[in-house]
Amino acid sequence: MVTQYGIKFAVHLITSHFGNLVSKVCDNLLRRGPLTLQLLIRFTELTPLQVKNSLLILIQHNCVQAFSTEHIGAGGNEVKVTQYLALFDNILHRLRFPKFLAIVSQELDKDCEEIFEGLIQHGRLTLEQISDRAESSAKTGGKPSSGGPAVRDAVREGFHKLLNSRFVERCPAPEPFLEPPSEPKSSNKRGAKSKLAGASETEEQRILASAAPIEALRFSLLTTSGTDLDAEKDGTGSSVGEKRKHAAVDSDEEFGSKDKEVVLWRVNFEEFIRCLRHKACMENVRARLDDGAAIVLKAVLDATRSAEQKVKTETSVPLLMNTIFEEVMKNEAGRSLTLDRVRASLIQLGCPSAMRGTDETYSIDLKKIIELAQNEEVESIVLKRYGRDAYRMFRLLSKAGQLLETDKIADMTFVEKKETPNILYKLWQDEYLHMEKLVVSSARQFSFMLWKVNKPILWEHVLDEMYHAALNLNQRLIYEQEQKELYAIQQGTPTGSTEKDRLRNAKIYLHSSLVKLDDALMLFHDF
Amino acid sequence: MSRLQGPSSLKRKQPDSNSPLDSLSEQERVVYNVIKSKQDLGIWSKDLKRETKLLDNMFGKCIKTLQSKKLIKEVATKNKGRKHLMAAEFEPSKEITGGNWYLDGNLDTEFINLLKDQCVKLIYKMKVATLEGISDTIRRSGIFKVEFTSQQIEEIVRALVLDNEIVEVKSNGMEEFDCIPIGKVCYKCASKGGKAEPRIGAMASIPCGVCPRISVCAPDGVISPKTCIYYEKWLDF
Ligand code: SF4
Repeated sequence: MVTQYGIKFAVHLITSHFGNLVSKVCDNLLRRGPLTLQLLIRFTELTPLQVKNSLLILIQHNCVQAFSTEHIGAGGNEVKVTQYLALFDNILHRLRFPKFLAIVSQELDKDCEEIFEGLIQHGRLTLEQISDRAESSAKTGGKPSSGGPAVRDAVREGFHKLLNSRFVERCPAPEPFLEPPSEPKSSNKRGAKSKLAGASETEEQRILASAAPIEALRFSLLTTSGTDLDAEKDGTGSSVGEKRKHAAVDSDEEFGSKDKEVVLWRVNFEEFIRCLRHKACMENVRARLDDGAAIVLKAVLDATRSAEQKVKTETSVPLLMNTIFEEVMKNEAGRSLTLDRVRASLIQLGCPSAMRGTDETYSIDLKKIIELAQNEEVESIVLKRYGRDAYRMFRLLSKAGQLLETDKIADMTFVEKKETPNILYKLWQDEYLHMEKLVVSSARQFSFMLWKVNKPILWEHVLDEMYHAALNLNQRLIYEQEQKELYAIQQGTPTGSTEKDRLRNAKIYLHSSLVKLDDALMLFHDF
Repeated sequence: MSRLQGPSSLKRKQPDSNSPLDSLSEQERVVYNVIKSKQDLGIWSKDLKRETKLLDNMFGKCIKTLQSKKLIKEVATKNKGRKHLMAAEFEPSKEITGGNWYLDGNLDTEFINLLKDQCVKLIYKMKVATLEGISDTIRRSGIFKVEFTSQQIEEIVRALVLDNEIVEVKSNGMEEFDCIPIGKVCYKCASKGGKAEPRIGAMASIPCGVCPRISVCAPDGVISPKTCIYYEKWLDF
């Protein structure tokens, strides 16, 4: 589900990080779906070298995945075709790097943080490159230069921690081969037309699945041949930038090598999104219920984290009451809770309290919590944009989940009968409601208007508006920045004017709004 | 206080034996009979004209006569601005007045809001309350001179839930739910401070999130984030 403004916003991010050429390539891939190099050159009207370099950058930063398929060529024989797929989610994650970094620095130590920062900056690195970076920064940082081996040890230790926490993962295969799907394939395009079918979604998933390293190796330093990467010696001693290119380009005509095993590492976005999802759930529960419920939820999430197969886990794995209680006791704030209190919180969290005994198990409906948070976000938009009467109507329809008639809505929400259709109509015009007209003909013709909230469609619409708003926030931010620079040139004096303060405040304001809006984007897209 | 007599009820007077009916013309009688046949629902004048198939001026004259003889009356309905007629001996039914919460064809918002406020205050004081609890307490408090049916209280409570001022919870039989059977639906205030404002989300706290013109706003358009007046106001510290 990538909406029009979603694409615009993603392209904007790429432009501001990597410039116009790269963003042009990215734009085409996002709009048209996977493309070959030839097609990309044709569509972008850039030189082959420019397109190649742009692709390299995008691949390096995990924003594009290459894959190959077999096609019947002109002569009737099969030819291998390489195509490139833009990874929308990963592009958006670039916005969240500060949040990811904050999680690492909160949960691990300084060494880990530095390694992690390197991976954020460079997209993908080998362990050697990571060590090199650490060493050179230790030197420039004025630490005793004799500490070479010590630095490398620290790096290795930090890297292990990052792997154990699953914050870092092995990069996917550079160019997996994609088996043709069983049903006949009409086109490769993922544009507006094929969005409806949803078939492209599965294609993206298929490509990602075929590129993913096997689970056993994903967080392991072992090579496929079984040797420990830790023990590998590196003799080349080249700098990070050179080696990066080396690994990515020179080895093969396509961007990867199969002769010698070069293992690249990258940030495991999935784990961070999971963390942020858990946090969002806890925050919502804390605000909606109370601290106790949030503590219990955290305990359950901590205990079941390793069992989660995917980010959008719907319900937590059932846990025994005793296990939950033990986990709650690990948390300092949790120690004040009694067993009864924990049980009550679990019920508050919506757990059915069917069994009461020593082996009662509980599982929390996480999907429900996310849904409630989403509802709240949309409802508050309705409140601010259309007022309190509309808010009540919207909540009524959202809860009812079915068509309701105008007069009935007026009665239940205590809104004037003649005002009601106007409000509902406005909501419908802005795509917040679905409307159906019902004509009943008896002696006279009666027509009724029926209304409902169509969540899947509305959620997509809201998400698109959010991308739009995020784009606007960014643009205003750039504009304020320009104003600031302009002002500095005009004034010449760098200190103490109210206009300058205003511009600084505006920037802070815009920036923090963007950080919050991004949470909402994740709430609707990633959670 | 507008509601001292309680909800209106259907009353039927005995028509006079020596009534003005006798002096009606043929057309007037037709019009009257149609109106009367609708009993306490009455009839919209346009529908009436269609049914009686009279010409404009004749129709108007008939209505005037009937009104002056006090055989029919005009009544206020929830569909304001419509001329609605009814035979004099009937009282308008709930269907056309809009029900209990309507007064002279208008939604009695003042009254409704007063009742809502009282309910919230009460629930806040009680911490958690069942529907019966709320009904009882309101009755005993004597703040309102009218008796409310439990259905009326339920309607008010439901609206408060929609306002997000109170939330529906199920009793777990512990702490504040002490004397309420487990599983029973109760209500409590949404915020700990009594009067609750819904939390405003990330989108609703920025200009674009509540902007009526978001669909026409584009980076290089006439309306753009750079020239936007909403941002101008928002960032005017
Ligand atoms: S930038 Fe201004 S005009 Fe455009 S959507 Fe946002 S608030 Fe509305």
